[in-house]
Amino acid sequence: MTNDEKNYFDPKVLAGISNLYLRARWVVEGMMSGVHRSRSKGFSVEFEEHREYSPGDEIRRIDWKALGKFDRYFIKEYEDETNLRAYLLVDTSGSMDYASDGITKFDYGCTLAASLAYLILRQQDAAGVVTFSDHIEAFIPPKAKRDYLLQILHALENRGPGGETNVGRILEEIAGQIKRRGLVVLVSDLLDEPEKILKGLRLFRFKGNDVIVFHLLDPAELSLPFDGNILFEDLEELNLRVVADPRAIRKTYREVVEEFTSRMRQECHDNIIDYQLISTSTPLDRALASYLSWRG
Amino acid sequence: MSIFFLHPLYLLGLVAASLPILIHLLNRRKLKRIRFPAVRFILLSQKRISRSYRLRHWLLLALRTLAVVFLALLLANPIFQTGAGLFAGGGPVSLVILLDNSLSMTWSADGNGFKQAKEAARFLIASLNDGDRAALIPTNLTGKEPFRLKGEKEVLFKELERIEIADGTANISAALTKAYELLNEPAGQKEIRLITDMGLTGWDQFSTSSLKQYDPSIPLKTIRTGKQQQPLNGTIKEVRLASQGVGVNLPLRFEATVANFGVSEIKDALVQLSIDGQNKEQKLTSIPSRGEAAVSFQTQLTQAGPHVGRVSLKKDGLAGNNAVHFGLDAQDKLRILVVDGDPQTSLVQSETFFLIRALNPAGEQDSSLYLPTVIIADGLNATSLEPYQVVILCNLSSLPDSLVPKLQNYLRQGGGLLIFGGDRVQMENYNLKLAQSSPPLLPAPLREKKLGPEAGGEKIDRFDVAHPALQGFSDPILLDSIKSARVWGYSRTTAPGKSALISLANGDPLLIEQKVGAGRVIFFSTSADRDWSDLPVKTAYLPLIQSLTNYLAGGKRGAMDPGITVGNPKEFSLPPSYVGKSLKIIKPNKQEVEVPLAPDKDRASATFQENDRAGIYRLSLPVGGEKESGMPLLYAANSPFLESRLDEISESELQAKLKPIPVEVISIDSLQQGGTRMDLALPLLGLLIVTLLTEGWLAQRI
Repeated sequence: MTNDEKNYFDPKVLAGISNLYLRARWVVEGMMSGVHRSRSKGFSVEFEEHREYSPGDEIRRIDWKALGKFDRYFIKEYEDETNLRAYLLVDTSGSMDYASDGITKFDYGCTLAASLAYLILRQQDAAGVVTFSDHIEAFIPPKAKRDYLLQILHALENRGPGGETNVGRILEEIAGQIKRRGLVVLVSDLLDEPEKILKGLRLFRFKGNDVIVFHLLDPAELSLPFDGNILFEDLEELNLRVVADPRAIRKTYREVVEEFTSRMRQECHDNIIDYQLISTSTPLDRALASYLSWRG
Repeated sequence: MSIFFLHPLYLLGLVAASLPILIHLLNRRKLKRIRFPAVRFILLSQKRISRSYRLRHWLLLALRTLAVVFLALLLANPIFQTGAGLFAGGGPVSLVILLDNSLSMTWSADGNGFKQAKEAARFLIASLNDGDRAALIPTNLTGKEPFRLKGEKEVLFKELERIEIADGTANISAALTKAYELLNEPAGQKEIRLITDMGLTGWDQFSTSSLKQYDPSIPLKTIRTGKQQQPLNGTIKEVRLASQGVGVNLPLRFEATVANFGVSEIKDALVQLSIDGQNKEQKLTSIPSRGEAAVSFQTQLTQAGPHVGRVSLKKDGLAGNNAVHFGLDAQDKLRILVVDGDPQTSLVQSETFFLIRALNPAGEQDSSLYLPTVIIADGLNATSLEPYQVVILCNLSSLPDSLVPKLQNYLRQGGGLLIFGGDRVQMENYNLKLAQSSPPLLPAPLREKKLGPEAGGEKIDRFDVAHPALQGFSDPILLDSIKSARVWGYSRTTAPGKSALISLANGDPLLIEQKVGAGRVIFFSTSADRDWSDLPVKTAYLPLIQSLTNYLAGGKRGAMDPGITVGNPKEFSLPPSYVGKSLKIIKPNKQEVEVPLAPDKDRASATFQENDRAGIYRLSLPVGGEKESGMPLLYAANSPFLESRLDEISESELQAKLKPIPVEVISIDSLQQGGTRMDLALPLLGLLIVTLLTEGWLAQRI
């Protein structure tokens, strides 16, 4: 396990999740089969595939026949029977690379996604991850293998934040690639046209997916706590810059942000989408708790 | 109406009013850069608040700038004032009141000018508050008064009472310099008020360069006394002696010039001559507008010695100095011993013919100041020199042995000796007896006789008009006359030409002087008759001989002294025995002043400055000194002629004269009507507080 992985599974956070997990497991074990059966009936199909060996894979799972045929290492993968297929969509655009104090939105999002994947995989459900900016960076389809977490983490770590945001279009694209219904978890700051974002989310809903939106915002984005005259430069669009006195616009700014988040919340609610506005100062367990509350 | 500041230095703080703007600009230049994800929200926010925000922003900037301006003004403490008075409000005032007490104030405002000026000064003093200080300076000051700022009103009132009209011209430069000196020290509000009739005289010669000290930040507020209705404005311009000398029982003629400064003719004005307080003669005269008229008087003095004269002008409603004083020193006839060295049977051919005619033109005993007695050389031994003031030797061939000690003794006691040259003069004898005697009676030995043809005579070239013996010869007519004379025969001396009173064109001296004891010797190197020069037939001969005789007889006796102008110093010169003693002077107002006599070269001298009154000043010599022959024991001081002129200087002329000192002219009426003075500190403080509160409220809103 690398240092980065340690970040994502901070013991403090994990301790919090662990407690939640115990409580969740008690709920799951009591209600899981009925709920899962009813929700995922007829989709239990065994699936086997090869994938290239990546560091951390167990040696015993190497397909030696394939090595003889292709002179390359392949791993034989087996699809466990599962009831839930969760797609974790993580926004890696440049705007996510912002931290007013401490953790960036990107790191927070990755931690959140990794934690969720961990939880999902621990529950024998299938978890996959899609990272994107204005295009899809990595697409790891959901699988219910316990050691699949490493691949998910690898995809999250593989690339840092960068590029522009185009959440709406990406959601449409991902929706086109998801063939089977499941749970779509979007982790993003949603700094895009609200209409486009909502259009994409509606598409998931239209295809029968459950959708949870973790709207990540830095505390500074919520409150604009700066003083003095400041030249604000956009993280994604280099030409977008503005001089402002935060004291003068703070109140209006907060209203604008509040309007935006309220609208997103309302639209999500109208489309039966679970919407969670999360400040990066919020402890991770609370964010995970909101997922568990959805599961419950 | 004006605004002035008690602490104008604080106005420099107005520069700080630019600070908020500078800070604003600097802030714009020192922008903090932040990379931020939600710039679109900021843009949206700005769009919403843009207009009202900018308005409030600029309003805030304006309020901050105003606050600094108000603070600077508040510290400078502005005072708003209408009228010229000093009233309640403001900080401590240091006030200098310049009171014009020149003669013209007598007639301004229909004769009430000085009274009005004093009332205005009293009003200003009464307006002083506790902590204020003032000084009172009359414009006719001698410069010795110990002026200082004081806060006791009663003392100032008493000082004001003591100030009287002076007979001289205002000394604006000295008074104003003193005012600025006094205001050099104190802090707070500084004020100068000049109360005047704006008489042109006094300002004529004024310029700010004559001020030893001034401060353009302290303006000169001029309070003018009321204007007079065009009065009759005339005065006596001068009085001069029209006769030759002032002698006892001799006809004495004066000519007075009276001037009219006004625009209307002065008709039937009475002009009166009085001598020693007695009216001698009076005449009626009319004087055209802006013109002059001459009035002649004739009288006679019966006693020798000093006399005082006065010519006065009288007319109802006449403004202007009405009297001129002068001194007269009447002398008895001068007894002159003339020794003829070349007597002739024909009177005209006599050596002394022209000389005697010059001393007594009419040939009558009572018609001339001079009483010549002619003797021949042989009579010298038997004649005592004592009765004579002057001895004249004309072409004497040789001098008897007994004459030399006689002459020396005569000269030591103050006698005068005039020696003429001539063809009979034996130079060796003269040199032996006169030049080589002890003390020498000739300034230089005789060298040779120069004699040429009449046509080739030398002209008189240099003439020392500054010498007391020749002072009357500044008249160009006399000067031309004497310079037209030719001298073809003379005794050449070794005296340098430069020391001569009169020199010929070739540089040889014609007239040289030698002092012996208290007496004087003058050597005339040509002849007294027409043998060696044509001088005796020239116009200048008579006044030359009379002038030399007067000089040798002991100074300016038998003359009129027109006196000095009030305000000018009078100098005295006495024999050295008076050194360390004091001369007593009795002023026209009977005030007695002692003037110490200090050594000055070989004389005792003194200068009297306090000639501040018009009239006769009498002298009293201290006991113990030798009697100085010819020392006049009185002199006159007269007001300046132009002080009677009531023309005024205009405000614009005054402003131009005093530039760069700001000048404001206020009528005395506006002073009496009062005015208001408001301290603007309190309103400014209110404005500052309101500005700061508004700024604070607005800053919170932003």
